[in-house]
Amino acid sequence: MTLPAFSLVRPQTVAEALRVLQDAAPGQAKVIAGGTDLIPNLQMKLYAPQLVVDIKGIAALRGIEWSPGQGLRIGALTTLTELERAPIVREQFPVLAEAVAAVAGPLQRNMGTIGGNLCLETRCLWYNQSEFWRRALGGCLKLPMPNPHAAHPRTICHVAPGGKFCWAVWSGDSAPALLALDAEVEISGPRGVTRRPLRELYKNDGMDRLALGHDELLTAVHIPARAAGRRGTYRKLRIRNSIDYPLAGVAVAMEVDDQGICHAARVAIAAVNPAPLLVPQAEALLVGQKASPELIEEVARAVTRTGKPLTTSASTPEYRREMLRVFTRRALQACWDRRDNVEHERDTGD
Amino acid sequence: MEKILLKLCVNGETCQVAVPPNKLLLDVLREDLGLTGSKRGCDDSSCGCCAVLIDGTPMLSCVALAASYAGAEITTVEGLAPPGELHPVQEGFAVSGGAQCGYCTPGFLIATKALLDRNPQPTLEEIREALSSNLCRCTGYMQIYESVRLALERWQQVPRTAAASPTAAQGSQ
Repeated sequence: MTLPAFSLVRPQTVAEALRVLQDAAPGQAKVIAGGTDLIPNLQMKLYAPQLVVDIKGIAALRGIEWSPGQGLRIGALTTLTELERAPIVREQFPVLAEAVAAVAGPLQRNMGTIGGNLCLETRCLWYNQSEFWRRALGGCLKLPMPNPHAAHPRTICHVAPGGKFCWAVWSGDSAPALLALDAEVEISGPRGVTRRPLRELYKNDGMDRLALGHDELLTAVHIPARAAGRRGTYRKLRIRNSIDYPLAGVAVAMEVDDQGICHAARVAIAAVNPAPLLVPQAEALLVGQKASPELIEEVARAVTRTGKPLTTSASTPEYRREMLRVFTRRALQACWDRRDNVEHERDTGD
Repeated sequence: MEKILLKLCVNGETCQVAVPPNKLLLDVLREDLGLTGSKRGCDDSSCGCCAVLIDGTPMLSCVALAASYAGAEITTVEGLAPPGELHPVQEGFAVSGGAQCGYCTPGFLIATKALLDRNPQPTLEEIREALSSNLCRCTGYMQIYESVRLALERWQQVPRTAAASPTAAQGSQ
């Protein structure tokens, strides 16, 4: 297949990249780093940008820096392989090491970057299809393709017919782990460099997923020093265990003292909503408590109330919701038992 | 669409090609440079048939814009050993029957070469993990893992600078 025609620019500095993005008409420029999300989407003709901005040459966006006072700073172009292998990540932020190692396969992780993984396009069974396939149905809310011969000549959402909201799912693995570690993102734009909580990057809307202006660039991720050493684990449901997008993902990060009492806890989920989400009740339920089957079950129920899986994938919503519950239970128990080593056997839902 | 003049370093040779900015590295290798060893399988980065080494790291040339890799050192399956010779990894696959239809083989060879460069003593679990981006639709994975194990033995026997000769492969059967 051939990609749609576009011009390519390769800025070497953040300032140069921002200038190019500002000059482009809104929606007409796409940023490329590893290419593992953008290129397949271009192949499917999901976008037709005039301009592609290749930021891989910006050396300032690479690398991982740790300081006990400032915490961890991860440059946006850091590859998922670099992150997965970094000793500081494996030792101090096990939930992130596990989540990153669960992304696709090793060759994709050699290309894919943390910035790209956080900015993934949302996915849906009715959207991630060839142009021919989509046109036959008249497209969908996210990408209308009017076709008078289609079964529904009017553009509709095939997931929730009659609805005006797009349920395309945010299907990444690193964001729930980073949410569980209270991460912030550094955004560079025409008004300078700002830092905001990662959770504010996501709008929970399948069509308009990111709170990121067309003239802004995600340049780094920060994890605060207070999150270092938290026990953590990530559990992921997927059809093909070697390479696949998640169908449900649960990240847990906790501080537990020698008596087994929880002092801080975050539970975040992905691949069941249009955004990766922190489960709001989890912390209040867990802090100050010791492990008990009743407590773990109560948290698992709170998780299934936050997750809203619909028919956006080949797997059923019922199965994905049930696996949220199972994964939450297993992840919490593993954290309490301190089975938080990245070498543990992958939990695949079997 | 205006073409871009690119300098690519492929298998140790620098070459100049004029390509449109939307052309994939896989297509430049196959169409402009005649290196048809790298295969187009899934075309959406989920099968590993198009794997090449970029600055020593295995990557998927079907999701790489050629213009993005100007100046990088690219190694395709054709560049693993000099013409007429086999790399120990290729020997391992040839002797152990690591190829059935052969379509996925170049990708497996590239991923195996990268693994042994990085980790000369991989366990079976590490081999499986390193090859988990590569799909074999003949499902001959056991022979492939056996090939890697054999390649590992040969790899340790030959001096790292020189590739083994094809006669060495026949001698051990």
